[in-house]
Amino acid sequence: MASPHRIAFVSPRFSEGPTIGGAETLLRKLAERLVAAGWQVDFLTTCARNHFTWENEIDPGEKVIAGITVRYFPVDSGRDLGAFIDVQNRISRSVEVSRDEELTWHRNNVNSTALYDYLRAEGHRYEKIVMGPYLFALIYFASQIHPERTLLLPCLHNECFAYLKTIREMFLNVSGWLFNTEPERDLAAQLYGLDLSRSEVVGMGIDGFQADPDHFRRSHGLTAPYIIYSGRREPMKGTPLLLDYLDMFRERTGRDIKLVLTGSGPYDPPTRLAPHIIDLGFVTEQEKHDAMAGAVAFCHPSVNESFSIVILESWLAETPVLVHAAGDVMPSHCRKSNGGLWFRNYPEFEEGLSLLLEYPAVRKAMGKSGQRYVQTEYAWVSVESRLLKALLKVYPGRHQ
Amino acid sequence: MSTGPFEIGADGVDVERINADIRDTVAAKMKSGAYAGAQLARAERFNLMNLKKDENFFEFYMESLREAVYVDINDFEIRERRAGLAPLLVRFKKTLWSLLKFYTYRLWSQQNQVNGLLLSATEEVDRKYRDKIKTLEERIAKLESRLPPA
Repeated sequence: MASPHRIAFVSPRFSEGPTIGGAETLLRKLAERLVAAGWQVDFLTTCARNHFTWENEIDPGEKVIAGITVRYFPVDSGRDLGAFIDVQNRISRSVEVSRDEELTWHRNNVNSTALYDYLRAEGHRYEKIVMGPYLFALIYFASQIHPERTLLLPCLHNECFAYLKTIREMFLNVSGWLFNTEPERDLAAQLYGLDLSRSEVVGMGIDGFQADPDHFRRSHGLTAPYIIYSGRREPMKGTPLLLDYLDMFRERTGRDIKLVLTGSGPYDPPTRLAPHIIDLGFVTEQEKHDAMAGAVAFCHPSVNESFSIVILESWLAETPVLVHAAGDVMPSHCRKSNGGLWFRNYPEFEEGLSLLLEYPAVRKAMGKSGQRYVQTEYAWVSVESRLLKALLKVYPGRHQ
Repeated sequence: MSTGPFEIGADGVDVERINADIRDTVAAKMKSGAYAGAQLARAERFNLMNLKKDENFFEFYMESLREAVYVDINDFEIRERRAGLAPLLVRFKKTLWSLLKFYTYRLWSQQNQVNGLLLSATEEVDRKYRDKIKTLEERIAKLESRLPPA
């Protein structure tokens, strides 16, 4: 009997329990599918759970989770946070930094020497090594160890970090790329001049679920309509913009509409809006889906998404979405699915949300449309075949 | 406040068309002044970075800024909510205000001057670059018209 294919995934965190994040979830789900297909899968990650502190919270070592051998390595101590923040701030303000400064930024980002040592010693045993997301020093340095067998799953966004010299070098150095959507692939091709024959658009399958919107409303005593946002609350995700817009919407239209939040991260709402926010924090998948199903819309104000699992989940719950137009990926999902609207500024947000509130039949039709789109495009059977095709492909790159 | 100018059937929903309708409605409402004001400009503070590519947005933002740029330094009615002591407290506040008025007027009128100058400078830079881009585009079009057909 032929020995099974052996593959490794590398990511700064492994999605388990309170560790969440779209990219981490995506990598874990893909790893699980490969296990189900009979592959031998190792997941190399750090002992950190919290993406703000990067403290080593999990014991180093090996654990088998859902058939995946997860190998935990400690995050290096002794980061020079001052140097890191200094360069990061300049990059964030689109100030040009030198290659040396970029390297200083990487060196003081999240690194794990133990993980690099393991890859150096054992990396040749894996047929392919899938790494992501792109914006971590861990991936930058790990991708240099066995570039000939490394496939980057970047979860790329059109943001200032994507324009760094070292990031470009990383993209050009690896064997191939797995993208989540066509707009993400096109962005990478445009930024780095990639040979797209070495890429595949894979995405992630979304499991179907049953949701009970009434149960959610009842258990939270909600009678007013609400919009929902799930995920990390931070400026990069557009949370402050959503809070300002909803506050303005309530003020200008006089409509009593609430905001339901699930996920983590601090936020600072306008005083008038604060009593109208139902912050659930971490919730079970079932509760999240129930909350989505009862919402007027799922509002995603981020312009930095390479896939957006949550809007696909929202469509599975038959709820339309309202997304920022400046990102490439989410409006593209909306266009293809006919399942949502997009806004460039506050007036368009107000008109879009008012329309969804005033026309329940349209809202329902959009939700249904979105659901059909996810069931067709993101059924696991379709994703799995794209993933296997990508992994079994011979990459005609510079290393072959 | 939004009105319902849309005529949408639920069957065969077409989000591209709905979004186009939304944009038309917004354009018309902006023309009528329904979307002007300092508060709106404030709501867009986190959106500026996202819309660098959007020319129309910049115009809209400048419009809002024009409305917001001057701090209102006119005199205002002095009131007191606590009914019992109201006459006394109002008189006290009026006295206090008459003492501070000169300094606050001076401070805020200077702030208004700074705001106004900054706005004018931004508008001037914007106008200059628009003119420059227009000239360059005309020049490119002229040069392209001289090229032999492919």
